[in-house]
Amino acid sequence: MKKAAFKKKTLSLVLAASALCGAASLQAHHPVQAKFDKSQVRTLSGVVTLLDWSNPHAHVFVNVTQNGVTENWAVELESPVELKASGWNSKTVQPGDRVEVTGLLARNGTRQIWADSIVLSGTGREVFTLNDNPPVKPLVPRPTPRWPDGKIALGATPGSGDGYWGYPDETALVEDGVNVSFDRYGQLANINDAARVAPMQDWALALYRHRQQRDLQDDPMYLNCKPPGGPRQYQSNLGIKLVEDKAGQRVFVMLGSGNHNYRIIYLDGRDQAGQVGGDDDNPLYYGRSVGHWEGDTLVVNTTGFNEDFWFSNGGLPHTSLLTLHERFSRPNLDTLHYEVTVEDPGAYTRNWSASWNLQWVGGEELPVHFCQDNRP
Amino acid sequence: MRKFVSAKSFLSALVMYLLMTGTATAQEGHPLKGSWIGEWSGNSTHGDFVLLVMDWDGKNVTGVINPGTDDMVIESVTLNPSDWTVTIRAAGYELQGRIQELELPSRSIVGTWKNGNRNGKLEISRQ
Repeated sequence: MKKAAFKKKTLSLVLAASALCGAASLQAHHPVQAKFDKSQVRTLSGVVTLLDWSNPHAHVFVNVTQNGVTENWAVELESPVELKASGWNSKTVQPGDRVEVTGLLARNGTRQIWADSIVLSGTGREVFTLNDNPPVKPLVPRPTPRWPDGKIALGATPGSGDGYWGYPDETALVEDGVNVSFDRYGQLANINDAARVAPMQDWALALYRHRQQRDLQDDPMYLNCKPPGGPRQYQSNLGIKLVEDKAGQRVFVMLGSGNHNYRIIYLDGRDQAGQVGGDDDNPLYYGRSVGHWEGDTLVVNTTGFNEDFWFSNGGLPHTSLLTLHERFSRPNLDTLHYEVTVEDPGAYTRNWSASWNLQWVGGEELPVHFCQDNRP
Repeated sequence: MRKFVSAKSFLSALVMYLLMTGTATAQEGHPLKGSWIGEWSGNSTHGDFVLLVMDWDGKNVTGVINPGTDDMVIESVTLNPSDWTVTIRAAGYELQGRIQELELPSRSIVGTWKNGNRNGKLEISRQ
């Protein structure tokens, strides 16, 4: 009994510590390094002229006077969705406030800076910091919710309140069992690890290295708001929502970020072909998904992808020969376990698998964030 | 001669059409896949304009040069990913070049072409 209590206390401490450390789920809608130069850190002091509180990124405009010359700088912040979730609002700074900004300069030489920190000069208070901690999990796992037919619920059930899946514990696609370090956007800590990430063909590895070495600035989701198809949708920063249409025998995968799109997984036994006349061979960003239940696991097969997007944070290549074999399970109320096997003989030398967990964010609707608003 | 003029007119019109219809569609898969259009300068047999359509089956790049007019089937393509150099052989032609601006959908191949003792510059861009 004593031992059990100790274990419970220890678990509680571990959970609290992990909550404080955070899972680094919140992130910019694009890799910061795609637009801003990590090697160019600068500190500016000036007076706020305007706060533009709009997606995908809020901006504080600051007049900076140096050597008698005043210039207006655009200070880029995370999205209002994330800032608001962290307790900030459009009144946090006001025109006339004096601030000190430290961050990364824009690659293109314009007067833009990514704010690593903004400090109100008068009070010394740091503002617009992010609270990116996932919700604290209960000490004892809550049972997996089920529908009246006994099937597990992949999302919210009637009367259980709203919620979505976020805070993936991996934000880059990497073969199971491979231990390499990435930043939250999928950029490798060491480019020499590129070949270990997945069993790529020579051209695919060279292209992956090229994308990595260019700091992910060619990401089509960043440049052109292309959808995060494939496994990437389950590693996106604002999460996903699984909506089960039991009568229609299909599951909607709603995206909180990217272009706020959706994907449909059909469970009605239909053919894996175009569902609209004349649409049969039209390759899609999310492919054509059909699924079925194996016990408490939803098994999904998807083909028919186009090649117009990156299917992973970090830019692993894929081709139109891609087939994804996905498995969704919910071992408890707060955990969605996602497994994917990548079968793409166009880009890889063999099939390979990856898996990770997402965490239930209960009591909240999926965030609304449109990459259509991108201002690269 | 009549056939040559016809082919040249067709390709000229195609070039103009493709230029007018905007930028290249995204292509994040194999870098050679797609339609490439441009010039093989000084080609008195087939004209200065050239169009290549290439595909990737997971093992080989296949395709055709000037489809619909000359229909030269591409016999072999080698791509060296270490420096992105490309060699394309079809109907006695050898096209050699390097992929420029790999990251762009409208990436280009710049190099040379030769056929027997004839040769010239090659510059094609993905559409």
